[in-house]
Amino acid sequence: MSMRRRRSIFDIIDEYFESFEEQVERLGEALIERPSWNCRACTMEPLREVMVTPTEVIVTVDLPYTEENTIQVKPIEKNVIEISARMRRKIRFDDFGITHYKGEFQTFHCRTRIPVPVFMEKLEIRFKKGILEIRLPRKHEYTIPIE
Amino acid sequence: MSEGVNIIEKKEIPSGAIMLFGFPDVGLVGVIAASHLISELNLAEVAYLDSKLLPPLIVLHEGLPHSSIRIFGNNTILLAVSETAISADTIYPIMYALIEWGKRKNVKMMISLSGIPIQERQDIEKLKVFAAASNPEMLKMVEDKGIEILKEGYMVGPQAIMLQRCAHIGLPALTLLAQCFFNYPDPEAAAEVLKELANIAGIKVDVSKLLEKGEEIRLRARDVMKRTQQELSKMKKTQEYDIPLYVS
Repeated sequence: MSMRRRRSIFDIIDEYFESFEEQVERLGEALIERPSWNCRACTMEPLREVMVTPTEVIVTVDLPYTEENTIQVKPIEKNVIEISARMRRKIRFDDFGITHYKGEFQTFHCRTRIPVPVFMEKLEIRFKKGILEIRLPRKHEYTIPIE
Repeated sequence: MSEGVNIIEKKEIPSGAIMLFGFPDVGLVGVIAASHLISELNLAEVAYLDSKLLPPLIVLHEGLPHSSIRIFGNNTILLAVSETAISADTIYPIMYALIEWGKRKNVKMMISLSGIPIQERQDIEKLKVFAAASNPEMLKMVEDKGIEILKEGYMVGPQAIMLQRCAHIGLPALTLLAQCFFNYPDPEAAAEVLKELANIAGIKVDVSKLLEKGEEIRLRARDVMKRTQQELSKMKKTQEYDIPLYVS
């Protein structure tokens, strides 16, 4: 039977505020409308999805035109990963018939928050049909004993 | 129910056509398929939808304003397509108006082109297309054509309203659903649904260009997909994954 780890009241308060700050930040991200491209950084934001299963977190990212060997997935915080990938060709607004904006893009870039604790160092990736799949084993930090 | 929704005709509308629907939904299957039909068959805009229920949005083409929901057609086909996600609370009046209009034009059948999400989609090589119908005769017709029937489950979105309304008013109708990604534009699924449309209704188009331009379509459709995801979430689209409880 596993035992619950003892924590001080200060740890619990710290965790509570950290969690609260994260929630506020996440809400802000969801509410603020912004374009899916960034002319200054020459990047486009890909579509992505996060799925939590009992054993792992699976992040998928839609990366059309991507060169597989340019894909980078970096953990940048304990619960955030940064994904970037280079496209085989430059995409200009002109390509979509848009003439009132100027700019060209050749990189996908995004940051994704992982909603539950995971082992970042054990992440596995695969790329198939233009879809990047990132698998992160879940970290079950506390187990409540059943008596 | 369709009060406040007007359909403005720009050209003479043929009688006895097949009416198709390509609305934003999972994988944008219907919209991608509709867009391909319009370009391959050179369909012209014959009518558009005008309503204060729609968001304050127009689509500009060559500097001129257009409704986001338009009907394209020729002598045998009418195709209703939306270029933006339709909000959950306007689906009923919009679909009722389009169906009533189609009925007044004596359409012989309505077919909605859409998708059915499947997990691990990227690992599937051959996508299946399922069908659901408004009456037993239509169901038998699609079964005879070798299409698998979606026998039990929930359906959410414009195609659900279309089937139910057409069943109620006695208009033959079908929904074709290709297996697809839930949240990513899926041109391959659109190609599969078009192949079955050809099988059922004889509306044949070459889908090779659609497949060749797959990556470009996925890139171009990102923003519409993102908006559609938000609306799908509001209409509880994931209910389609639920196991139904039937009360007999």
